[in-house]
Amino acid sequence: MRSPETAVVHRAPMRPLLGKELREVASGRALWTMLLILCPLVGYSFFQAVSLYDEASAAAAESPVLGSGLSPLDGILVPTFGGLYLAATLLFPFVAIRTLGREKESGALALLVQLPYRIPGLIVAKMTAIFAGWLAAVLCAASALVVWLAMGGHLYLPETLDLVSGHVLYGLLVGAIALFSASISDSAATAAIITLAFTIGSWVLDFALVGQPGMLGWISQLSLTQTLRPFEQGLLSAGLLLGMLAAICGFAALAAVWLHPGVRVSTKMARSAVCVSIAAAVIGLSTQVGRSVDVTEDRRNSFPAADQLALAELREPLIITVHLAPEDPRYVDLRRNVLAKLERAMPHVTIRLATSGQSMVGSASEDAYGEVEYTYDGRSDKSRSTSHREILPLIYALAGRPIPEPIPGQDYPGYPLIANASPALAWFLGGLPLLIVIAWWRSCRPPYVALHLTKDGGPA
Amino acid sequence: MTMAITSSPVLMQLAGLAKRFGDQHALSDISFTVNAGEVLGLIGPNGAGKTTLMQAIAGTLPTDAGHILWRGIPLPLPRRRQFLFYLPDGVRPWEDQYVARVTELFAAIYGRSQAVLAQTIHSLGLAPVLRKRVVELSKGYARRLLLALALLTPQPLLLMDEPFDGFDLRQTRDIMNVLREVAGAGRTLVLAIHQLRDAARVCDRFVLLAEGRVRGVGTLAQLRAQAGTPASDLEDVFLALT
Repeated sequence: MRSPETAVVHRAPMRPLLGKELREVASGRALWTMLLILCPLVGYSFFQAVSLYDEASAAAAESPVLGSGLSPLDGILVPTFGGLYLAATLLFPFVAIRTLGREKESGALALLVQLPYRIPGLIVAKMTAIFAGWLAAVLCAASALVVWLAMGGHLYLPETLDLVSGHVLYGLLVGAIALFSASISDSAATAAIITLAFTIGSWVLDFALVGQPGMLGWISQLSLTQTLRPFEQGLLSAGLLLGMLAAICGFAALAAVWLHPGVRVSTKMARSAVCVSIAAAVIGLSTQVGRSVDVTEDRRNSFPAADQLALAELREPLIITVHLAPEDPRYVDLRRNVLAKLERAMPHVTIRLATSGQSMVGSASEDAYGEVEYTYDGRSDKSRSTSHREILPLIYALAGRPIPEPIPGQDYPGYPLIANASPALAWFLGGLPLLIVIAWWRSCRPPYVALHLTKDGGPA
Repeated sequence: MTMAITSSPVLMQLAGLAKRFGDQHALSDISFTVNAGEVLGLIGPNGAGKTTLMQAIAGTLPTDAGHILWRGIPLPLPRRRQFLFYLPDGVRPWEDQYVARVTELFAAIYGRSQAVLAQTIHSLGLAPVLRKRVVELSKGYARRLLLALALLTPQPLLLMDEPFDGFDLRQTRDIMNVLREVAGAGRTLVLAIHQLRDAARVCDRFVLLAEGRVRGVGTLAQLRAQAGTPASDLEDVFLALT
């Protein structure tokens, strides 16, 4: 019946494995339940966002200045995708865990690891299925954008894509953590607890430690939630992208290390140490990559266009010495309003915290506390301001450059929209759930079986 | 590493395999050989270490000592799946998938033609349940599905844990015939069986296991001679040696 001894398979095509993993995700209730719960989550967020935007737009009709402050990114996109963030944090782990947890519980893992695929290949297939599952969720949420456009709303493609890609990466990160959790757990329930410890633990870090000095503040940076903030602010950061990709690959690699049941725990521990070291090194490197791009239409993360052009021409290093504690609200303002923008606008900016490692209370009594010293081309000046309107002229003076004239026509117009959000509810509470149920039903249908398989087989 | 195919009957050799779970010795100094084309039965009561031994051979369980040789050459863990396939007991793989999908998955992975797939399905009587989910299968059909998956693999050595569990007498005989055909085509089978009557009917040689140790290896005649009970059946031999 079979070829003896020589019939050895070394490699197999990836397509059947990918198909199997995708079917595994689609055949479970977890994915469809998540999508159905996502409908009211995103739908109500969108409804509320449009309603508030409508009220603000109505006020802006009487005062055009108010209208220029109405941005769909803040008003619609970020709150709507907040529902997707909740789904990624609380629901998606169960979908991702399923890709491996069921195989561990049923014993099918023993068959899986004997298939002619390398372990990284198995993990890539599972991550692809996880990505596909998350993409389905993102598409459900993104349907709100289509509804918004149909209402006559405005979208700026770069900032929209930036936000969506941030949520895609966040979901993948949660998925990779879930896969790793499943690989080290004997049951899906344990894997869920471990994954939720990461995701909900991030909330604890956010609530309890953000703004704390020293080590506590550094630990708060490990929160998964923090990774979404720059995307929500309209920033595309190379360092953050690199860091998130490194974390995703790191957790996937750890899942690969712990997948095979035939490898000794001591070997797995040693390999894990290597994975963690490499991932930590890349993440550490990513924190040093300061390149980020302001993709917002209103250029909220940049100075006015004339200043951006003028600052880009300042080629000498600008050294900024800040006499403020990192947790001081003035430093937070300075960082957001001036320093971060300067880092993006000028080629060589160095920022030093003179009070690094000290608390706000201990430093505040010093005379120099609150001063910010700017040094450019051998000249320096000090300021206590946190506004670019005072600091930029100071820098131009140090560089011996005139203050640039504003470029006309560069002001953000704002996009007020008076709209009725009720039709959106019909989509999110009726149309979209119906489509999901139909897709679920179709995925459950038995496959077509060729006639020759149901009758007597032919010769082997 | 190139595996030389020699005229030696010994396909695989186990030397000093040992496995401990805490203070309990699940396997102690397990050594025996598997000959090409034979049906070798791992015989022993529940808890004798049959499943642990199969997992250790397949590499799905790390061992504490010992090694496995294939045609006299060490067979490291990553290469075992190229030469042997282990069918565990009590597994319902990919429960939410349809039987047709699971069998097609293995056929596609191992490049089996539709004719081979059809023959395998027919030989194991799986046609009536192809459009059922794995979770919906009876114990007997679930076992047939597992056997079908094993028959679709191309490895020269098949390790099967309790392959007749879940079958009635007639079904057991049918499956034995299928396995005999497989062995007749040149594949080597190692079957872990706790029903000694089933083992006596299908196996060429036996490895008697008790409390994680090998108590006897050979054909029934050789075991009878070892036990000093010339006219006894396998049950008596087993009781005498363990």
